[in-house]
Amino acid sequence: MPSRSLQPGPWPGWLTPALVATVLLAACSGTAGSAPTATAWAPVATTPALGERVTAYDPARPAPALRLTDQDGRPFDLASFRGRPVLVYFGYTHCPDICPTTLADIRAALRLVDVPVGVVFVTVDPARDDAAAMKRYVDYYASGFTGLTGNKAEIAAAADAWGVSYRRLESTPAAGYAMAHSTETYLLDAAGMLRHHLFFGAGPELIAERIREIAG
Amino acid sequence: MKPARRFARLSGLLIAALVAGSVLVGCSSSSASIIVSDPWARASSAMASAGAAYLKIENTGSGADALIGVSSPAATTVEVHETVAMGSPAPGASGDGGMMGMQPIARLEIPAGGSVELKPGSYHIMLIGLKQDLKVGDSIEITLKFEKVGEIKVTAAVRES
Repeated sequence: MPSRSLQPGPWPGWLTPALVATVLLAACSGTAGSAPTATAWAPVATTPALGERVTAYDPARPAPALRLTDQDGRPFDLASFRGRPVLVYFGYTHCPDICPTTLADIRAALRLVDVPVGVVFVTVDPARDDAAAMKRYVDYYASGFTGLTGNKAEIAAAADAWGVSYRRLESTPAAGYAMAHSTETYLLDAAGMLRHHLFFGAGPELIAERIREIAG
Repeated sequence: MKPARRFARLSGLLIAALVAGSVLVGCSSSSASIIVSDPWARASSAMASAGAAYLKIENTGSGADALIGVSSPAATTVEVHETVAMGSPAPGASGDGGMMGMQPIARLEIPAGGSVELKPGSYHIMLIGLKQDLKVGDSIEITLKFEKVGEIKVTAAVRES
């Protein structure tokens, strides 16, 4: 399973001048020294880099296989979706921000296109996301979407094949744990070829535009 | 949504010596003035383990303030988290992009004259243990606790996105 280590960031270059400036300005309590905007538990990068919002596979390449268990507990093979464009996204159901945002964008995009599109949501948290959990989730957030799960090894193999990274992150006692994960959405054409991946924040219009492009 | 506003005045005198010049600078007071706008919560099922709410916090005062706690009758526990990039993004032809994860934020500073937006992919209010479904058209109460100005209560409309 691919994983990346979490390194504390270096002392930001701007911080030293900021602190010096604070001393030199000798400002009122609370009015200066406001450079750090948040106190966090873990030292990590604070700005999600969106990069390009969409990237094309040129040339298109065959999508990796995806054979897991769907939300009804039945075996699922991505090849069964041949004949229509497909969006594939890896996430998890306890994800409060990124995953619901992405799925809402996809839902909105599908309202902008008039071709049938398969949507596959694959969990990276099989410990909590069994088929029943996936069913509750897709029924609520994403009716008509396919939710996939499997055992730990199956999920690891699928993620590896798709170049998806994920890692468990300890959170607060109330929140339990979170999963760090790759947040791209993959767009396949009707022949099962990988055509684009869309970065988080692509938005409904751009997703719809790419679907139309590869469906046309 | 009607912005909620509250002022707080800091009393106290702070005198500091400059390192470079031997000048004493004194300030009598500074105050934070916080405006919370556009609160909304994402529609979610109570079966889901966590919902999310978003809003914008503006500090029009001359003193910094900080968001130090959030509560809502709609959830058992409410926390501020930040979605952050983890690992190096690879916006190339490869599908091996960077990861995004979350970190809890115990204290979110709102600088004087500045604003912080809680929005998807960034800071968000995590509603842990939803007590009911959040349906489009509903609204929930959220109470924000600031270090200086105290509590501000807002009503967040439930939307799909």
